Amino acid sequence: MSRTDLIPPDRSPSAHCHARRVRLPDGVGATWLAGLFERAVRTWWGDTPDRLPRLWDERVPAACDSAVAGRRVEAELHRPLDAEGALLRAVLLQYADGPADLVLVAHRANLDALSLRTVADVLTGRARYEGFTDKTASHIVAAADAETLKRWREADFSGRIAWASGDDAAGDRTGLVTVAIREAGPDVPATMAAAVGLVLGRYENQENPVVGVLGPVPERPEGALGAFDAGLLLALDLSGARTAGELVAETAQALASDGGRCDGRQYAELLAETGGRVVAGLLTDGPAESGSGTHVPCQTAPFPLTIVPGRTPDGGLQLVVRHRLEDVDADSARRFARHVVRAYEQLANAPAGLVPADVELMDEAETRQVVALGRPLRRLDWRPERIDDVFASRVAERPDAVALTCEGRSLTYAELDARADRFAAALLDRGVRAGERVGVCLGRTPDLVVAMLAVLKADAVYVPMDPAYPADRLAFTAQDAALRIVIADQDFPGGGSASVVRPEELETHGGEAGRARPERREPGEAAYVIYTSGSTGRPKGVVVPHRNVVALLSATRDDFGLGPGDTWTLFHSSAFDFSVWEIWGALLTGARLVVVPYWVSRSPEEFRELLARERVTVLNQTPSAFAQLMEADRRQDERLAVRLVIFGGEPLDARPLRAWFDRYPEDRCRLVNMYGITETTVHVTAQNVTRREAMTGSRSVGHALPGWHLYVLDERGRPVPCGVPGEIHVGGDGVALEYLDRPELTAQRFLPDPFTMGRVYRSGDRGRLLPDGRLEHLGRLDTQVKLRGFRVELDEIRNVLLDDPSVTAAAVVLNGDRDAAGARIDAYVVPAGGDPAAIRQRAAKVLPEHMLPATITPLDTLPLTANGKLDVRGLPEPVVAPAAPIRAPSGELAGALAAVWESVLGVPVGPDDNFFELGGNSLYAMRVAAAMRDRGLPAFPMRELYLHPTVSGLAYVLDEVTSHE
Amino acid sequence: MTMRLSGKTAVITGAARGLGRASARMFAREGADLVLLDVARGLPGVPYALGSASQLEYTAELCREFGVSVMTRQADVRETHDVEAAVSMAIGRFGRIDVLVNNAGIAAPSGKVAHEIDEHEWQLMIDVDLSGAWRAIRAVGKLMVEQRSGSIVNIASTAGLVGYRHFAGYVAAKHGLIGLTKAVALDYAPRKVRVNALCPGSVRDDPQVEGRMLAEIARSLDVPVGEHEEAFVQAQPMNTLIEPDDVASAAVWLASDESRQVTGSVLTVDGGFTAR
Repeated sequence: MSRTDLIPPDRSPSAHCHARRVRLPDGVGATWLAGLFERAVRTWWGDTPDRLPRLWDERVPAACDSAVAGRRVEAELHRPLDAEGALLRAVLLQYADGPADLVLVAHRANLDALSLRTVADVLTGRARYEGFTDKTASHIVAAADAETLKRWREADFSGRIAWASGDDAAGDRTGLVTVAIREAGPDVPATMAAAVGLVLGRYENQENPVVGVLGPVPERPEGALGAFDAGLLLALDLSGARTAGELVAETAQALASDGGRCDGRQYAELLAETGGRVVAGLLTDGPAESGSGTHVPCQTAPFPLTIVPGRTPDGGLQLVVRHRLEDVDADSARRFARHVVRAYEQLANAPAGLVPADVELMDEAETRQVVALGRPLRRLDWRPERIDDVFASRVAERPDAVALTCEGRSLTYAELDARADRFAAALLDRGVRAGERVGVCLGRTPDLVVAMLAVLKADAVYVPMDPAYPADRLAFTAQDAALRIVIADQDFPGGGSASVVRPEELETHGGEAGRARPERREPGEAAYVIYTSGSTGRPKGVVVPHRNVVALLSATRDDFGLGPGDTWTLFHSSAFDFSVWEIWGALLTGARLVVVPYWVSRSPEEFRELLARERVTVLNQTPSAFAQLMEADRRQDERLAVRLVIFGGEPLDARPLRAWFDRYPEDRCRLVNMYGITETTVHVTAQNVTRREAMTGSRSVGHALPGWHLYVLDERGRPVPCGVPGEIHVGGDGVALEYLDRPELTAQRFLPDPFTMGRVYRSGDRGRLLPDGRLEHLGRLDTQVKLRGFRVELDEIRNVLLDDPSVTAAAVVLNGDRDAAGARIDAYVVPAGGDPAAIRQRAAKVLPEHMLPATITPLDTLPLTANGKLDVRGLPEPVVAPAAPIRAPSGELAGALAAVWESVLGVPVGPDDNFFELGGNSLYAMRVAAAMRDRGLPAFPMRELYLHPTVSGLAYVLDEVTSHE
Repeated sequence: MTMRLSGKTAVITGAARGLGRASARMFAREGADLVLLDVARGLPGVPYALGSASQLEYTAELCREFGVSVMTRQADVRETHDVEAAVSMAIGRFGRIDVLVNNAGIAAPSGKVAHEIDEHEWQLMIDVDLSGAWRAIRAVGKLMVEQRSGSIVNIASTAGLVGYRHFAGYVAAKHGLIGLTKAVALDYAPRKVRVNALCPGSVRDDPQVEGRMLAEIARSLDVPVGEHEEAFVQAQPMNTLIEPDDVASAAVWLASDESRQVTGSVLTVDGGFTAR
């Protein structure tokens, strides 16, 4: 007797113990059985007397079909046996009403399933013990050859089972689900293994999933009693290079070959090497059942998902999945089992040419169910209207209510309306046509809002542009949107055909105010065009109609209780569509909108001061900005009047919000996390964030808003099962019209809704639907990232760098993503000669500040992976080079300032180094301000750092300020 | 229904009747498989009848009704061989021992002032009530340490915490048992084997478990049972006697994983008697 080395090797004995129950035939007495048992085991294993099994004869004081008897049998079937002890445990259970059951338990390292069945057959008189002998099993584990080893190493062990929920306290406990198989095929184990791999690949997004197999070796000698089970790892190729038939054939070949076995040691080494795990495995020893009885192939699941094909009592095929409750809940296991069976049935009857990707996991009913899951909880009750018409209603209701406040000055709804009318009349006089795009390039002032409203009143389409953006980018926008008129209060760098109109010129227009176009376009026509970062390397204009904005407000107004009692802030850049929500959210619900000057928006202290002064009730923030605000607020005793905070623009880590809830309980201030996309009109979903979300670190972004709906689809546009990641598609009332003048791109991203009327937007975001219909957002599918609320396309930055004639190759990566403020873009270039600083200067002409790499490191070549892709891990640490040789900062203040910068930026700082070129950004600027305050250094307005971004420059200004006090 | 001890195997000494039977029954109800031991005969020097083989079998029958596997064996905790044979039987059948309840004990010979106790009486009391627990611990300890899990529950007494007149031997043995509990708890703590003592106050002689402790103490003190009972009802602040199941419930908790951070502790179930 020798033991085989089983996989997985790290499990408790119960994972490798199997058991069998048989009802004793009528007339077989306990005494007779005991005698037979003695003779049989002495014949088979007499040479190992210390491991000889004995028969335990026990009475159960209950009828054989009672619950007590049932519990007793289950307990015996699941009682483990140590691999080193007795070769077998045999328990005779004699019931009070006469019948008796024999329960046999063995460890796979001693006896395989067929051996156990033989023992049962002998003890129940179906076979004679003389026909069987103990056989040694040492020869069966052949080492894997080099090619097999290579395949294992290249396979994907990264499965996380994130599509199920586990119970951390479950220990070894194992659940069980059973699904009937309707259409059997020729080679059940091979087809089933391929099906398991296929489903796993879909669930875990793996091209080379790994499936473990534990079962008898093909050359198992007949009539032998012993251990003949061995492990096998199957690495399946789902890339599409193989047809489904080839996949099954390969699997069958691997199962039938004597090489390629994986023993416990190799298994452990592989997992240590890859840092992963084998998520699913097959037990292939379910022999054809004879007579009544129960076979338990494993007492606890050796693999998180242990798949056992077998037979039903009436001879049909069925699949049993035993799942470790620590990793997989019952609902998810049932879904998995159902999909494996469905995949199996398709593979078993695969037509030639069927590729793995053709296999459907869900039937129609389940597809309908998943589609319904992405629908909102409530229907949207609304009427499509124009933005300016809804605004007019608010003016009519409360003309004297304050609409806009900025730095102490206010405009009532009537005044705002009148001023916008005058602007609109002036625009019409300048020949603005219906549907014409008009640029609005104004800072955060009341006139920004007036101008937008005026453009709408003139039945034109506004194109917001942030004057802080680089000239080249603004020029691109003006050209791409074919702007004839740009409302701007400084020289607009557009050049070309756009003419600049200053707000004063529109204000002093003598024309007839209130003269609107008699016939205006429908609510379904464009209202604004916002430019977003584009994956092709240049920004693209998203055309959004009036009705979408009105739908957004209809979807949220009642739930959020939005109304005239509220005060909102306009905090965000007009080029970031969060501001669309801020502006129209306030003005279409009769609230007051406080325009936040740019410099205030950069300083959490000053912004908090504004929130307190203006008694702001509705606040919209990116999580990174809110973190800073929370910090500033914590230092004040006084509480803010904020009753609603909407998070948007980047993923929310809810955990730090616990401190906020301590100051602002949920019944005082509601926090809502919203997932959104410019192309679907600001928001898509909403998730209330409470202490529960903060404690659990939930990543849910909630249900779709009324009027919006979600699909999570695979690469072929099919819905993926609940819990499985795929690409988020958004349909409903928020879907934008198109990308301006980009019909091809529009056709790629705005698709016909596969399940209902209308269109869906293909977001490029990864997500999954939870069983309750909430969405989890899992990041971008491509290289697009969110940085401090801005959507940044790394490829766009890379293309800009490659546009530079002195750059031959470039790579752009996002680093330090654990800390929102520490997140920064680092670029690597292979220069054809020339100076990296010059490359940076040229890039700065095209890229806005938030897209400009913090560092540009020159390299001789870019590191590549074996597949020829950029090896991101092979990139060196970025070089943060001071612009000039370091010269000690002069003066006491300058010295202190440099120390603060060094502590915040983590690099040496010279007096003339540019803060932003050293990797500084707006969030670091806030940290510098906070650190200076902590050290008792003079406070300074945030704008000074932007105007004087060097230690010497800032020290000079601060000196001036303090000496004049 | 959640079973707090399912999958566990428990060895209970002194299981024929009294607290042993009550504990066994409640352990079975919570899903534990059982190995029930009892001396199952009279002992020379003990002035009252100890548990019988019939009573032990009856306890086992009560337990089997819950659908658990129950083995019984006659074992005198004064005999190393008896204890070790019982443990090896348990291993052969179940493969593991998760819980040991050291319940076997005698209350008499008692009723004398210290200098009147003779050598044999003293030795008998210490041998059963203190050394018996140690022998059982010695027999299962190695196994539990190898398993890196296990819970040992020593049934002591309020006599392990305070003195009682005319019970020097019993009080000394039970104080010793608490000392043993604490020392072994420290020995085994790094291996996740827990040892705790449970101190019942005066337990009612429940006819269902055929308890007779109170009656025997009364007899030792030569007072009528009713009078003795009344005295203890008065002495226990909750003004009632303890029921056997009150003690069994505490034993279940100490045996279960719910108490997984509890070791070396002394849990009193005495209606507040020792709180004074």
